[in-house]
Amino acid sequence: MPDITAITAELHAAGIDADRVITDRTAMTCYGYDATRQSRPPLLVVLPQSTVEVAAALKTAAAHRLPVFTRGAGSGMSGGTIPTGAGMVLSLTMMTRVLELDLENFMVTVEPGIITKELQEAVAAHGLWYPPDPASLAFSTLGGNVAENAGGPCAVKYGVTGEYVRGLEVVLADGTVITTGNKCVKSVSGYDLTRLFVGSEGTLGVITKILLRLLPPPAARRTQLLAFADMGTAAETITAMFRRRLVPATIEFLDHHSIAAIRQELPFALPPAARALLLVEIDGEPETVDRDAERLRELVAPTAIAVITAADERERDTLWQARRALSPAIARIAPHKLNEDIAVPRASIPAIIARIDAIAAEVELPIVCFGHAGDGNIHVNVMLDKTDPGQAERGERAVAEIFRATVGLGGTLSGEHGIGNTKSAFLPLEWDAPTIATMRAVKLALDPENRLNPGKIFPPDFHDHIS
Amino acid sequence: MAVCPLYRHTRREEMVARGKLALFAADLERPAGEPLPTFHRHAIDHCLLCHSCEANCPKGVKITDLVIAAREEIAREAGLPPGKRLFFALLGGKIPGLARMLKFGALFQGLAWRRIPQSSGLRRRLPFPLTDDHTVIPRLPRRQLADFLRARKPADSGPPVIFFPGCAISYLFPEIGRATIRVLERLGFTVLVPKFVCCGTAARAAGDRNTADNLQHQNHELLAALPLGAPVITACATCGHALMRYDLGGRRAVDISVFLMEHRARLETLLAGRTLDLDVTCHDPCHLRKGQGVIREPRELLDLITGNRFRDLAHPELCCGSGGTFGVTHRELSRTIQAEKIAEITATGATVAASGCPGCLIQLREGLTNAGTAITAEHPVVLLDRLLG
Repeated sequence: MPDITAITAELHAAGIDADRVITDRTAMTCYGYDATRQSRPPLLVVLPQSTVEVAAALKTAAAHRLPVFTRGAGSGMSGGTIPTGAGMVLSLTMMTRVLELDLENFMVTVEPGIITKELQEAVAAHGLWYPPDPASLAFSTLGGNVAENAGGPCAVKYGVTGEYVRGLEVVLADGTVITTGNKCVKSVSGYDLTRLFVGSEGTLGVITKILLRLLPPPAARRTQLLAFADMGTAAETITAMFRRRLVPATIEFLDHHSIAAIRQELPFALPPAARALLLVEIDGEPETVDRDAERLRELVAPTAIAVITAADERERDTLWQARRALSPAIARIAPHKLNEDIAVPRASIPAIIARIDAIAAEVELPIVCFGHAGDGNIHVNVMLDKTDPGQAERGERAVAEIFRATVGLGGTLSGEHGIGNTKSAFLPLEWDAPTIATMRAVKLALDPENRLNPGKIFPPDFHDHIS
Repeated sequence: MAVCPLYRHTRREEMVARGKLALFAADLERPAGEPLPTFHRHAIDHCLLCHSCEANCPKGVKITDLVIAAREEIAREAGLPPGKRLFFALLGGKIPGLARMLKFGALFQGLAWRRIPQSSGLRRRLPFPLTDDHTVIPRLPRRQLADFLRARKPADSGPPVIFFPGCAISYLFPEIGRATIRVLERLGFTVLVPKFVCCGTAARAAGDRNTADNLQHQNHELLAALPLGAPVITACATCGHALMRYDLGGRRAVDISVFLMEHRARLETLLAGRTLDLDVTCHDPCHLRKGQGVIREPRELLDLITGNRFRDLAHPELCCGSGGTFGVTHRELSRTIQAEKIAEITATGATVAASGCPGCLIQLREGLTNAGTAITAEHPVVLLDRLLG
């Protein structure tokens, strides 16, 4: 049994004040959950304020052989931050500084606890733009975004978090501090360790600084809502757009369940026949935006049953608010949901949608689909009542079937949420044994005792093997 | 979490609704008789009751009611601190003479507090408890709202409206009450102002439910004698929010800004194109924006008063950090929140920051004074009254 008194004494000696080390058992409940509704209190919680303090905490954890679970805002959707054992939770939410804004090189260095939206506002004040826009951007932290390699609607054109990360400062399992990457656009010296840590879900080290590249913001954008009579036509329209070389910044789609859930919140009436919606945003220079919006209208004229253009920023905000409120809004359909965020190559969207429809019919459960159709990333929600054993079993079967269909189409288990502990059992479905063995070799090289976020990413037998 | 002003500055999970709910759930497991851990007490204490989380909750969780219930529990277990006990005894009328005491204070406040040039506030001369050298309190008026009411000759021809002034307007900011009554009379209403007592919010927020219920009961009795069709108008966001839980006998409670915008055409006729020559911004009181859902009307009113020279804040939804007595009991955190608000106000370039809440006005005036700016903080209805002359 770890000696809590000795551990807290060491942390205090390292300069971490008493009010930033929490050991009260019930108090820790508020640092042991995330958006998956799992909750497990750890052994202790530490709220460091600097790299030095993070390093000290990791040294202490190493000395006492404690598992370490790093967390930000706890908005993760795959259980990435859930303490799976009696260990130390490192909450990095107090490390919120913008360390350097390099206006010449379009680069910004931040601490991991800064909230994504705060970063966007900070750089926007200087006429720059940080594009990644996860739905949780008003509260999720950048550290969490990097650790899960989060994406958002604008990934279609601008990519995900990882594509903006140019360098990191990372504290390793034994407390050693390393630096990766630099401000150079071209940089090929040594292994690309930055890429290794992006999306590593807290299993390889603790990220304490993040160097990000920025873009100038687009001068104009046009937001349109396209309504279709069925999902198949909507899915076909997406592929048709790209075939015409039309690349919107975002293409979000909503199925008929989603439409029913938010119909009330939309600023205008939808045709009753609408059973699928596409929210399309085109950005760029004013002239090209107008031209592309016109091309889009021509393209969908034969198939769409309604085309609505947001008249102003307020209407655009309302549309996006409705879209972001979807996840909680569909909770009204059934008491529980199994939500996955599969992704397929965008050309396979019609195929995966058709397959999910068939699976829903087979298991006799509503499956709500919405998400980032433009990049093939679909939020699939199997709605059920878990207290009904029959539904619970059918729900699990549906998820397994969806994963199989996804992988069969060249897709992936997770587009942006990460594997965490909710999808780890399915990893062998996507990757063969030698590939997982390679990941394992990397993991053990950096964390031989499997103390950094154990129980995540790898299938359960890996962790049994280690301990 | 995204909207909690305390989380914004502390980044601690126990500040936000989700963390508090987890703590409440954990508390249910606590063996009977075991005292509440300090950590929990601290978490329950740290809430501005600003309703930001509630206004954004997709599931409609009434977290402020839970915080208040937890505070009632603590008050029952341990009792209220003596300062608050005395304060509520005065507000609740258990100790008579609050009005006289404050008037007496108005005569002698100069001994202990000094005036601040270009401000209607006072700074301390002596090291009073709960204050520091940056504390700015409102100057106690020698003439309270009651004195004005005694002197006035109420019009009695127009349709009746009921004005609920509340403590802050009655004793600290009578000019807001006077302006409200004058503007309403200019619009042709008969303004009824019975001797209402405190709305009960201060006691309720501290967990003193008895006092709060008792005050509410006294106000109910006064209302019973008044005409049924008359709306109850408030100029204090907190009172207006408190009235939402009252039984008003079918009458509606309405903030003065909303009521004025409902009578916009008549107001425009009165103004005859006159405007105040100033740029104005607006801080949304939590109890108005999130408590009563009033956002549009104060802006429209200010645009009308200044001839479309209203400029919005970058984050108008953020709390100013006052939170009733929170600013006194958690001064440092309150000042951090205040500083951010003042910076946003300054960035608008406005010369007046309007806000429909006396509590917010105290907080804004202190912040503006300490920042050394010439920007003033005023209630929108005071600006309108000034324009009407």
